[in-house]
Amino acid sequence: MPDGAGRARVAGLLRLGGWAGGELVAAVPLLAGLAVWELAGWMLGFRFLPPFSRVLATAVGMIAGGELMAPLGASLLSLAAGYLPAAGLGVTLGLLMGRSRGLEFVLSPYLNAFMATPRIALVPILYIVLGLNRAVQAVVVFLGAFFVIVWSTMRGVRSADRDHVEMARAFGATKRQVMWKILLPSALPLTLAGLRLGIGQAIRAMIAAEMFIAVFGLGALLRTYGGRFDAERLLAVLLVVVAVALVCALAAARLDRHLTAWSRTPR
Amino acid sequence: MAWEGAALTSGSLLLPTVEATAWRLIELAGTGELWHALWVSNHAALLGFALAGAIGVPLGLAMGRWPSADWFFDPYLNVMLATPMPAAIPVVIMVAGLGLPARVLVVVLFALATIVFHARAGFRLVGWELLEMSSAFGASEWQLWRKVVLRGAAPGIWLGVRLGAIRAVSAMVTIELLLVAVGMGRLILDAQGSLDAAGLFASVMVIVAESVLLAHLFQRFEQDASQAAMGMAAE
Amino acid sequence: MITIESARVRFASTEGGAPMVALADVSLTIARGEFLCILGPSGCGKTTLLKAMMGLVPLDSGQIRIGSHAVTGPGADRAMVFQNYALLPWADVTANIAFGLELRGASREECARQAAHWIKAVGLGGFEHHLPRQLSGGMQQRVGLARALAVEPEILLMDEPFGAVDAQTRRLLQEDLLDLMQRSGKTVVFVTHSMEEAVLLGDRVALMSPRPGRVREVIEVGLTRPRTASVEREPRFTELKEYLWERLRAMRDEAADA
Ligand SMILES: Nc1ncnc2c1ncn2[C@@H]1O[C@H](COP(=O)(O)OP(=O)(O)O)[C@@H](O)[C@H]1O
Ligand SMILES: [Mg+2]
Repeated sequence: MPDGAGRARVAGLLRLGGWAGGELVAAVPLLAGLAVWELAGWMLGFRFLPPFSRVLATAVGMIAGGELMAPLGASLLSLAAGYLPAAGLGVTLGLLMGRSRGLEFVLSPYLNAFMATPRIALVPILYIVLGLNRAVQAVVVFLGAFFVIVWSTMRGVRSADRDHVEMARAFGATKRQVMWKILLPSALPLTLAGLRLGIGQAIRAMIAAEMFIAVFGLGALLRTYGGRFDAERLLAVLLVVVAVALVCALAAARLDRHLTAWSRTPR
Repeated sequence: MAWEGAALTSGSLLLPTVEATAWRLIELAGTGELWHALWVSNHAALLGFALAGAIGVPLGLAMGRWPSADWFFDPYLNVMLATPMPAAIPVVIMVAGLGLPARVLVVVLFALATIVFHARAGFRLVGWELLEMSSAFGASEWQLWRKVVLRGAAPGIWLGVRLGAIRAVSAMVTIELLLVAVGMGRLILDAQGSLDAAGLFASVMVIVAESVLLAHLFQRFEQDASQAAMGMAAE
Repeated sequence: MITIESARVRFASTEGGAPMVALADVSLTIARGEFLCILGPSGCGKTTLLKAMMGLVPLDSGQIRIGSHAVTGPGADRAMVFQNYALLPWADVTANIAFGLELRGASREECARQAAHWIKAVGLGGFEHHLPRQLSGGMQQRVGLARALAVEPEILLMDEPFGAVDAQTRRLLQEDLLDLMQRSGKTVVFVTHSMEEAVLLGDRVALMSPRPGRVREVIEVGLTRPRTASVEREPRFTELKEYLWERLRAMRDEAADA
């Protein structure tokens, strides 16, 4: 099963959508959508659909007025506190599992179960076990990102070309050298793909958990305004959330492209 | 096993033993409470998932086939992929209320982008050579789709469907926990509220089991499809 | 001198049937400084034999010695050129060529200096910082050759190195290889499935047959050195080529009858 075609397939499928070049042309459809929103907002006059310009103005006002700063800060802090350890530990465990079939055999059922399980379902358990505090947010973020990073890194190590390993051995490479000079670089594209998927999942888990507790972070704010049927503010916060998520996704994509240019197929 | 050990040694009220959880599970199943909750939850998930598939697969394939479709929808796809969908739930509720339609809509929102993305990726893996070859042999657009695209893109489609199913379950639990306390979400919240740790674990376990089962099921389809697409008989 | 004595290699078959005999009792001696070509249909164990000499595939029985030392693993005295190039896709031409030196702990400057030297020697000037995917097949194999030569092995093992390039490129590579090797005094074992290539390059040609893999015959080429591509016009060249073709065809008929 781990043949060349299969590997290329996994690598291809894991890579998120392309954001390369021509960003202006790419923005046209989105701008068109926003224009429709704006028009509909003015013409239909639904309470839940204020025009985009008003939502944008509200968002800017909330940021300028400082109203958004504390929740945004709380969210970003828990994001960093959960994601960074998830990345570090996830890559490490993924590398170990990639090297050891035994470890893979023992741990992969758990890995698959956790990847398939909605992380939000674990939040009530976490709060009952750990209590209602901010550390739980970091744990939730961690759980959101960790497993996909482990899985992807492991696949990355397994995707290493056997011919490369054999070549290195022919040139006298030690086990250590094979690890550092062949397996690690080979694993890089899928590891980065995992980190990209991980940041998305982390943000998703973070928002869901914040909404569940409704005490801190952007998620709590969403719930407050949703409860008040304050469409303008609700959509303004949503806009900020989407912006944060997009910035994270773009940053991760840029890093990925920068580090793995070599793995792109030639034109 | 690690769980049992931890529970026994800590002797905690909050971390139930496997035994207690199992008993509670049987109890819940016996009263029919569990089955009713499962039905309520999955009803919405199933409808939403089917809808997401019905929109997502054709859309993704179309984006693969026609560059203009890709140009138009790609930015939306990227935004949807990046957006943490739980954040959209309050908006959905404002628009569609608290009933079944709202829950179905949330499931669609959760599952759609993944399905579109992988259907398109699946199409791209078919490769232009095969499409050109088929046109060179005079295949009509219809034949092209039936004989080449659907077979070649099947692994990607099934992968998207599997991930979409996982997202659908996730959507169902998320909305039930966050805003509309019905179904399995209700069971979890009740258990949490009454500090019934065993009940809480039992309900969560049911969700885990469902997710894993679904993932396994679709993985089978996916493997068969990819073996068929690569010319290996699925024995 | 390389001595191969009754080498046997079996691979466990994937379907759990009888093991596959890749090498059955192969014996061969290769003199220092000799250019030996191994010729045979695909699947006859050529790669396995070469990898056994490299120390990558252990023997089930028998022995391979270099001088008086038995081969137990890869060693600095040997280097290999791979059929599919096996270049590292993330490393540029310079880094790929210096790979073997780097593994041996050579300094950065030493690596750079050696790489620069070999880039010139194999005619890749101007491509120092290209990635493998930006090179044609022929150029990629030049990198593979330079990587092997850069570690200054006494013995060069080449596994169908020109098998995957087009005919014209192959011809240029063959001529350049003749140029590089004839004065070097290195021992070369060169696997090929091309009769012309075997006769053009080799001092001797070892003919192998499949199922199970054995060496059937060793033929002296006896064309003068230094050689250039013009030997192809000599009657001896044509004669040898035809002889090899007959032998290969006879082998095929044998297999068909069996
Ligand atoms: N690692 C391996 N595992 C199992 N069988 C192998 C392996 N390597 C080679 N073989 C088998 O051994 C035989 C000889 O292979 P090889 O030496 O690659 O032949 P050649 O290079 O002459 O084409 C073939 O039938 C091949 O299928
Ligand atoms: Mg071979």
